[in-house]
Amino acid sequence: MTEPRNPGMSSVPQTAPVHTDSTSQAVEMDPVEYTLRKRLPRKLPKRRNDVYVNMKTDFRAQLARCQKLLEGGGHREICVHGLGLAINRAINIALQLQASSQGALQLAANTSTVELVDDLEPEDPDEAGEPMTRTRNNSAIHIKVFYPDPQ
Amino acid sequence: MNKPIQMENGITPGTCPDSPCPFPGLASGVLEMRVKEGSKIRNLMGFAMARIGGGLRQVVFTGSGRAVTKTITCAEIMKRKVGSLHQLTKLQYKVVKEVWESTEGGTSEMTVHRTVPSISILLSKDPLDPQEPGYQPPETLCALWEEKEGVESASQTACKRPLGPLPYSSFTHCKRVCLGEGVSVLPPQ
Repeated sequence: MTEPRNPGMSSVPQTAPVHTDSTSQAVEMDPVEYTLRKRLPRKLPKRRNDVYVNMKTDFRAQLARCQKLLEGGGHREICVHGLGLAINRAINIALQLQASSQGALQLAANTSTVELVDDLEPEDPDEAGEPMTRTRNNSAIHIKVFYPDPQ
Repeated sequence: MNKPIQMENGITPGTCPDSPCPFPGLASGVLEMRVKEGSKIRNLMGFAMARIGGGLRQVVFTGSGRAVTKTITCAEIMKRKVGSLHQLTKLQYKVVKEVWESTEGGTSEMTVHRTVPSISILLSKDPLDPQEPGYQPPETLCALWEEKEGVESASQTACKRPLGPLPYSSFTHCKRVCLGEGVSVLPPQ
């Protein structure tokens, strides 16, 4: 299980199975070669207390930003959003915030599906390939991190 | 991070059985789907859909670590296929016990307790408590997109969803989002 038997796979031995893109395989199987371009997710609403977590920014920086909003920014609640691989990180941030608040913060998580669009552009313009788009879905999470109202 | 060491040393991960159920007061007959990193979505969904089609009222999907994304995907697929499901999502840290064995044939063992984020999603045909943090009423997704078209409709205030207006929600042309996570990405023939 740990050792990839298939030599063709050996270049990506450690990728999580979820993310070994079916898209890239599909492109390899195409009769005409295409370049796959992933468009960015649709633009998102952004209030001041929304935090969109990504996998590029340093984890601690994103955590610190959330802490700052809750403590210094005077927000009673913030929304932490994560898409795809960043779901894990979003959950981690939310749980860290909760743990460091000594139970003062509560979490309320919602899940959703986001539609993403890929562009397929033919590599060789002479061949018959037409530019195409292909949509796929990815899961997302939205976690409200908040101080519960005193009852 | 510790992956290479895992490979070298041979690791036996085991879960501490005492992680509490995030849904107190749940009926005992509930199907719990434990989603693992290597689980195939079609296997999980084949089983779960058959059970819920056979009259089961509630299903729980749980997963931790790298299986979290897959867990959410399963729940999203089921919500879309079954429809009218109430959802309750809970996040917690799960303590995982890892036993590290030396590969040099020694008998030395080391036990490490690690915490990994885990998610539990309860999907129910019966109504759930809307006041509970992490509650999502049925068809939130679709309702949400519709709603954002124009008016901030009353549905949000009515059910007091804890999360407030969802993000991604102000897309005006996004209704097709509800259509099928499992959409295949087959190559064009």
